[in-house]
Amino acid sequence: MAALRRDSKVIDDVVAKRHMVHLKTKEECRLGNETIQVWTVELPSKHAEGILRVIKDNIPGQDDIDLQHLRRFAKPKYLPGHVIGKRDLVKEMYAVPRAWESTPQSVMQAPATTSWEYSNPNRSRGNARPSTLHLLICPTKVVDLPRLHQVLSEHTPFCSSADSWAYPLEIKEITVPRLAPTSQTQAEEWSDDFWPTFYRKTNPFGAHPSSIRKAENELQEPENENIGVEAALALAERAGDDTVRRGVGAGPGCVIVERVEGRTEIIAVAGDARYKPQANAAANDQSDACCKGNMMGHAVMRAIGMVGRKRLRCASQIVTKAAAKAEGNFTKGGLEHDTNARDAFFSDLPITPLEKEYFERDNLKPDGYLCLRLEIYLTHEPCIMCSMALVHSRVGRVIFKQRMPKTGGLTSEMVRNDSGPVGLGYGLCWRKELNWQFMCWEYMTNEDEGTVSRQDLRKVSTEKYQQEEDEADSEDANVTSSSFARMHV
Amino acid sequence: MVFGPIPNRDYHERFMRKAIEMAEFALASDETPVGCVFVHEGEVIGRGINGTNASLNGTRHAEFVALAEIIAHHPQSIIRETDLYVTVEPCIMCASALRQYGIRAVYFGCLNDRFGGCGGVMNIHADPGVDRSYPVYGGLFREEAIMLLRRFYVQENEKAPDPKPKKNRELKTEILPVTVTPVPVSQNATPIDTPPVGTPAAVATPVLGAQEVKIKK
Ligand SMILES: [Zn+2]
Ligand SMILES: [Zn+2]
Repeated sequence: MAALRRDSKVIDDVVAKRHMVHLKTKEECRLGNETIQVWTVELPSKHAEGILRVIKDNIPGQDDIDLQHLRRFAKPKYLPGHVIGKRDLVKEMYAVPRAWESTPQSVMQAPATTSWEYSNPNRSRGNARPSTLHLLICPTKVVDLPRLHQVLSEHTPFCSSADSWAYPLEIKEITVPRLAPTSQTQAEEWSDDFWPTFYRKTNPFGAHPSSIRKAENELQEPENENIGVEAALALAERAGDDTVRRGVGAGPGCVIVERVEGRTEIIAVAGDARYKPQANAAANDQSDACCKGNMMGHAVMRAIGMVGRKRLRCASQIVTKAAAKAEGNFTKGGLEHDTNARDAFFSDLPITPLEKEYFERDNLKPDGYLCLRLEIYLTHEPCIMCSMALVHSRVGRVIFKQRMPKTGGLTSEMVRNDSGPVGLGYGLCWRKELNWQFMCWEYMTNEDEGTVSRQDLRKVSTEKYQQEEDEADSEDANVTSSSFARMHV
Repeated sequence: MVFGPIPNRDYHERFMRKAIEMAEFALASDETPVGCVFVHEGEVIGRGINGTNASLNGTRHAEFVALAEIIAHHPQSIIRETDLYVTVEPCIMCASALRQYGIRAVYFGCLNDRFGGCGGVMNIHADPGVDRSYPVYGGLFREEAIMLLRRFYVQENEKAPDPKPKKNRELKTEILPVTVTPVPVSQNATPIDTPPVGTPAAVATPVLGAQEVKIKK
């Protein structure tokens, strides 16, 4: 069995600069592009507050759906042209067929200029035309058009009064983003495409942007003696290469780092060891489909196991005693206690000198809990088992270099044009259903990021990724790359 | 969804009884009362309870402990002809591991509505994936499985230095029945996010797996 292809651009790696790109969460992928239909109306600025009051008083539920990320009032010059040119639904509602209705669409749509108000002679009422605003009334499902029309037409400026003509009531249905944007760039794009949108520097569907930025700074510009993302991933790759060289690994590697009061310590280094022989000869079969090897030998499982062992070693007496008691119960219960066999199965002791070097350091803060808030550096996106193992272990930050679209458990993309290649879509790093979430980054080359736009509502497709994947699938001659794609890391 | 009729139920209950015994043993040892046995050709080849307290490793679940026993004596390929009986539905991690090892079928007691990977929260056993999917059958001695968990949480609360008010410690014995809606397991039938059908809302399976290790200072 050949080792995992590390990357299709091994040679470029030498020069290709990489940087951390935070993964989209499941919810960001699922909901980020969701839209909702709303009613809007144009009205003279001086009547804006009055009409808003009318809406609040007369339309129950107008505020139930949170659209705080959208401006309530927008000046015409800030609206996208197609919003201004939308069909006037009131007119349609009451219109009887007339010749002008056959006017081609293009003529009816006003151009996206600030002077659009004057482009329609029917609506011009002389030079004294007041400045206007567009009001986002409420989602269309809250109130139907006839009812909304009735409410508005009973109030100034849409009703005629003793001292003025009625302002023409034009209700339009437009599409707006349902949920808050997660970046300034996204807010700007949405403002251009839909309706003026705010970015409030929070993210309801993932880690807080400031935590993400803080982590990115700490990892990409490490201070003093601290290990940074580049060095940690290089170490993970070395660990993975070492076990391959020994004939027990498939390529991936994992490094676990603890950060205490701003200082980093490397706690565990583990290479994949899925092909390491078991303790008893009877357990080793080369024959069958077991070319997948032993799943406990995945680098993540091994590294987590090493952290547990180091915890035992660095623990206070109370913790050590509790663990020993639990171990004793095991034996008492007559559960199998062949230590060699068990250790060979879990493979959580160091194999290579590199692993040993870090394993033997008593540098873990005593009496901590599992892998609580530790940082995990991975050469590849881990499989579902390993991803969930990270959840169970309460890790804090995970950075991986290479996506595994067919087997990976961390990424969330399920449909094309999300924000990365289509994968299984589990997004286990940040699932509300689970009781633990952690931040997760892909360490991408600038080249990759340029090709696969990471911006939201992307227009760039994931063709490049798809193409690579298809090549990997179709190259029957090249066993390495096709088995690579289907391999669990 | 997973509590469909189980053919030859008596046969399977015999092994689930052994899994329950393991869970009882775990409870007596202050471990989360989840027990499992792996059965190959009518013979138990591996048994397990959680090993997290002994290893300080949050991934050392009953299934993995039992697999360690199997692999001490058998080639890994034996798992392909082996069935798992576990008192609580396997978590997402174990569900994925079982699929990668090629387990033949999984029988469980109650759903795991926090971490379940075989219908409770996700459908790792049946989702599209590179490995062969496997069938799951739930509900064998479900009431016993739930009662064991409840007893554990009452027991834990009593040991806590600052016990919760008494009403929380009472052992609830009423267990609501689940809706039986059999759905066949297939390779591509179940999308990832299908909410579990027939999950008894009133019976909350307590947190399993990475439970808190209590450290007294
Ligand atoms: Zn894995
Ligand atoms: Zn589990």
